[in-house]
Amino acid sequence: MNVDQLVDVLRSDPGFMEQVVRWEEIPAREARYAPFPARLDQRLIPVLEKRGIHRLYTHQARAIEEVLEDRDVVVVTPTASGKTMCYNLPVLSAILQNPDARALYLFPTKALSADQVSELYDMIQLTGADIKTFTYDGDTPGTARKAVRQAGHVVVTNPDMLHSGILPHHTKWVKLFENLRYIIIDEIHTYRGVFGSNLANVLRRLLRLCEFYGSHPRFILCSATIANPRELAETLTGRTVTLIDDNGAPVGRRHFVFYNPPVYNQQLQLRQSVISTTRDIAGMLLRNGVQSITFARSRLVVEVLTRYLKDMVRDPLGNAGRVRGYRGGYLPTQRREIEQGLRAGRIDAVISTNALELGIDIGSLDACVLCGYPGTIASAWQQAGRAGRRQTSSIIFYVASSAPVDQYIVTHPDYFLRKSPENALLNPDNLYILMSHFKCAAYELPFADGDTFGNAPSPDMLLTYLSEEHILRHVGGRYHWMAEDFPASDFGLRSGAEENFVIVDITDPAHHVVIGEMDRFTVPMLLHENAIYMHEGVQYQVEKLDLEHCKAFIRHVEVDYYTDADLNVSLSLLDVEERQDLPDSMHLCLGEVKVSTLVTKFKKIKLDTRENVGFGFVRLPEMDMHTTAMWWRLPDTLIRSFSNDTLENGLMGVSNLLRIVSPLYLMCAPLDVVVVYQVKSPITDGPSLILYDSFPGGMGLASKAYRMQRLLLEKCLDIVRSCRCPQGCPSCVGPVMEVGEDGKAAAVRILTCLLDMLTA
Amino acid sequence: MNLLEKLRSLEKTQKAAEKGPVFTECLVRTEKRPAGAFPDQSFITRDALGLIRSQDLPLPGDPVRILYLDTETTGLRSGAGTVAFEVGCGHMEPHGFVLNQYVMRDYPEEPFLLEKVREEIEKCDLIVTFNGKTFDLPLLQTRFLMNRVSAACLDRPHLDLLHAGRRLWKRRLEKCTLSNLEAEILGQPRCDDLPGSEAPARYFAFLKTGNFGLLEDVLRHNAQDVASMCMLLGKMCRLYAQPEQIGFSEDLFSMGDALEKEELRIQARRIYRMVPRGRLHGQARARLAHSFRRFGSPGEARDVWLEMIESREGGILPFVELAKYYEHTEPDLEKALEMTEKALAVLSEDWPGRDSGTVQKSVNALQYRHMRLRKKLAAAGTCRDPKERQGD
Repeated sequence: MNVDQLVDVLRSDPGFMEQVVRWEEIPAREARYAPFPARLDQRLIPVLEKRGIHRLYTHQARAIEEVLEDRDVVVVTPTASGKTMCYNLPVLSAILQNPDARALYLFPTKALSADQVSELYDMIQLTGADIKTFTYDGDTPGTARKAVRQAGHVVVTNPDMLHSGILPHHTKWVKLFENLRYIIIDEIHTYRGVFGSNLANVLRRLLRLCEFYGSHPRFILCSATIANPRELAETLTGRTVTLIDDNGAPVGRRHFVFYNPPVYNQQLQLRQSVISTTRDIAGMLLRNGVQSITFARSRLVVEVLTRYLKDMVRDPLGNAGRVRGYRGGYLPTQRREIEQGLRAGRIDAVISTNALELGIDIGSLDACVLCGYPGTIASAWQQAGRAGRRQTSSIIFYVASSAPVDQYIVTHPDYFLRKSPENALLNPDNLYILMSHFKCAAYELPFADGDTFGNAPSPDMLLTYLSEEHILRHVGGRYHWMAEDFPASDFGLRSGAEENFVIVDITDPAHHVVIGEMDRFTVPMLLHENAIYMHEGVQYQVEKLDLEHCKAFIRHVEVDYYTDADLNVSLSLLDVEERQDLPDSMHLCLGEVKVSTLVTKFKKIKLDTRENVGFGFVRLPEMDMHTTAMWWRLPDTLIRSFSNDTLENGLMGVSNLLRIVSPLYLMCAPLDVVVVYQVKSPITDGPSLILYDSFPGGMGLASKAYRMQRLLLEKCLDIVRSCRCPQGCPSCVGPVMEVGEDGKAAAVRILTCLLDMLTA
Repeated sequence: MNLLEKLRSLEKTQKAAEKGPVFTECLVRTEKRPAGAFPDQSFITRDALGLIRSQDLPLPGDPVRILYLDTETTGLRSGAGTVAFEVGCGHMEPHGFVLNQYVMRDYPEEPFLLEKVREEIEKCDLIVTFNGKTFDLPLLQTRFLMNRVSAACLDRPHLDLLHAGRRLWKRRLEKCTLSNLEAEILGQPRCDDLPGSEAPARYFAFLKTGNFGLLEDVLRHNAQDVASMCMLLGKMCRLYAQPEQIGFSEDLFSMGDALEKEELRIQARRIYRMVPRGRLHGQARARLAHSFRRFGSPGEARDVWLEMIESREGGILPFVELAKYYEHTEPDLEKALEMTEKALAVLSEDWPGRDSGTVQKSVNALQYRHMRLRKKLAAAGTCRDPKERQGD
């Protein structure tokens, strides 16, 4: 069955259509072409023609022209629009014209580098030129490294390796740094938050070294669709970047089906589980021979769905192999095999985490099922983009879970369809991150008086600080590294916490094995003594947590419960940065707070029934984090108009709404930002709503929230008003059982009042 | 006080950059040690050095001017920010060993230190270091580059005594660190020595306090390192020149191995022949035969294998090798078959440490060879009657 036939079948099925909230058709788009740019090295044209390419899509041609005009560009590319041409062609052209020219390719993951290198190899083979492309990452054997450093025209690596393996040893890479023409960064939309802030600083270091070696490389960046690709590109690179987003690649008609599983308990608003609904839809696709990809949010759900679908087609002929799972944790060879199977059409259904959201080449599929909302509009479109043939129709199903955000999306399809995707947010000047990279930079090349570090604010202040700490020595107008440390090995790029705990399995006393690691802020929750820790579905009990040496010792157990720790969080004020006073003691602030977390107790919860079957005590010291927060202190008249209970219910409702809304507008994971309410806040001495970054030093989330607070409050009000539940549900203020019968109304009143005050 | 507060308080009190002192040179400290403390120096000749490292040592005639070089650094991991704050350069003169230690008393003296080191290097024909291949020389290369000074002088011939020493003594000594070689090879165990790993901390303490006394231990350690290299090279050259004085068969075997790696086949064969009866004798013979076989003297290889069989050395190896030899080189298929059968017979014996897996692999290979030889013999029409073999 093809997709058009499937569409007819589904539309005539009233049982199916009853749950369809919206059926959106996205019309087909014709291809638009442009000739090869005149400045492109003409030797490449026969190469392209051999590959069947006789002209370029408009966006490709424009990107190449801009690059050849010596401008930095960011290309916004939907899946399968031929983005690699946008960077491979200028790079090959430059190397053909000057064999000394070098290019550096950065991909966020190793899997992606492998994919792109093979494509570049093919092109190079066809040119017949002696152009050497090497991957330089943790897997590159020591013996090959020298050759890569000396002879690689194109060095393919990842930000982590650049940070700890290349920049601190730049003197071994003289050829690369002296001749660096292009820096290619693909998938820049993944570089937001902490990771992006780190990359921006790695690039500051890179450019600083390029200047030392006398090169001035250009950036070619690629991004999936996000709201602010140019802003992101400019923040990452510190350069003015030309945006190219006029996609000339064709795509067939696409159907986007918003599906809400049926409610089986009206009072509790309980819906049929998203997993079984997804299973039914993916199964229907599988039975009808429509090649599909299903995205699930957790690894566990991926495994469960894979199992369901395999069982559906399992037979002695080995047809279960037509269904495959895909996620982090699989071996690279297995991943490659699955990707190839998808391209070759040997696999009919793949169930994946967001691991396949990135630009790994798996070809285009007929259908995509989103099992729950992936958290951002950008992600959802990335995933949906996996379905989309150039000529024929494709179909996407969004299956909502009962989670508040999911329900919001399914009941507001326009929010999803019409709204631009999120902003990608990063803060390269985050003090923690900046300081760490600044040290690396000082190690790599001494700062001289008056030197800058990209566009980082106040480098002089940092230099003076590091000198006073005896990490740098200021003498003769330069700041020299005077510590034994190797600063780049002190921290990784993908988490704000600089310390990691290793998890050691001591089941076999003779053979201790490190099975994983965890950042220090999560450790008290999941690795306190007596916690049940789950790793690849296997249960372990934590026997000993060694805080001093950052190790958790665990032992394999088989029990029928898991543990959930109670986290006590208290906030105290360190500093107010900005304050707006309004009448009636209402005020709003942006400032620094100390978040003290203490785990005192944990619950034991039965695996199957989720009953509480006991508890235990945790003895761990309090952990402090300094971060950025913003808060609203409610006006006195409003407070007095509520009973104490109603006030608390209302605050709880608003904080629930803010928790739903803020990740959508701050472009962060729900866990990146914390929203709490306090009936009597030690910070403001009154009932308050507080939002803070869950990263040390802050990630700029609270300050962005502070700037867009009216929008946030308006969206909260929108949600609660348009929600059709009578007294609160998970999609707005929270279920009645949580916020009480008056919670929803109180939340509306609080929001209205705050907005009125802000407008007045 | 948190980081942010500290930074803010700094911002308020930030002073204008001070005008510091002017730096025009690095510290040079020269020391002479009497020649008597350096035995075996006369053995350090172009020829002896050529035995230790033949391929990339294009040395002029004697005397070879040798620079013994060792650095003390601000970190033990090399990277762009690790600096050599002291470089010890030693060379032998007719009246004794001259050691120049160049110390930068602060970072701005680095260019002057590097200039001195460059001069030292340019005066020599050969740089000798201990672990300089991976550490000292790349580090100097980085320092030259960071100071925008040409590093061309580093292209000079270089002998790394760590590698040369390992080749020679790894079979006998547990570790081939410089201090261990001093104790085991030179018979001069070090005492009161500052561990090299403490040098960076000492240097930073000196920078903070200005107390040069903190560096004395580091300089003493460095001087010892440089002097030891010179003694060690003398000893090593002497052993190469007079291998008959080597008292350990491990060392002899290792020397043969080292010479072979340098493609000094004739010399290597001579050394292998010197390995006395005992544990490594068989292995040395096998190497010897291998060397003959590989480089055009199959007849001599055959003789060595036959000797090995005579003295019951080398397990199945001489049989297998002879089987190959008789099959392909001589050729004498009957003898080849005989050797294959003998090898199989050896394998069927039980001996301590017998690993049945490995044995099975050898048996399979031999049986395959046996089969092929029989086919060849049959084709040649000279095969023994298969029935004749049934009693085997």
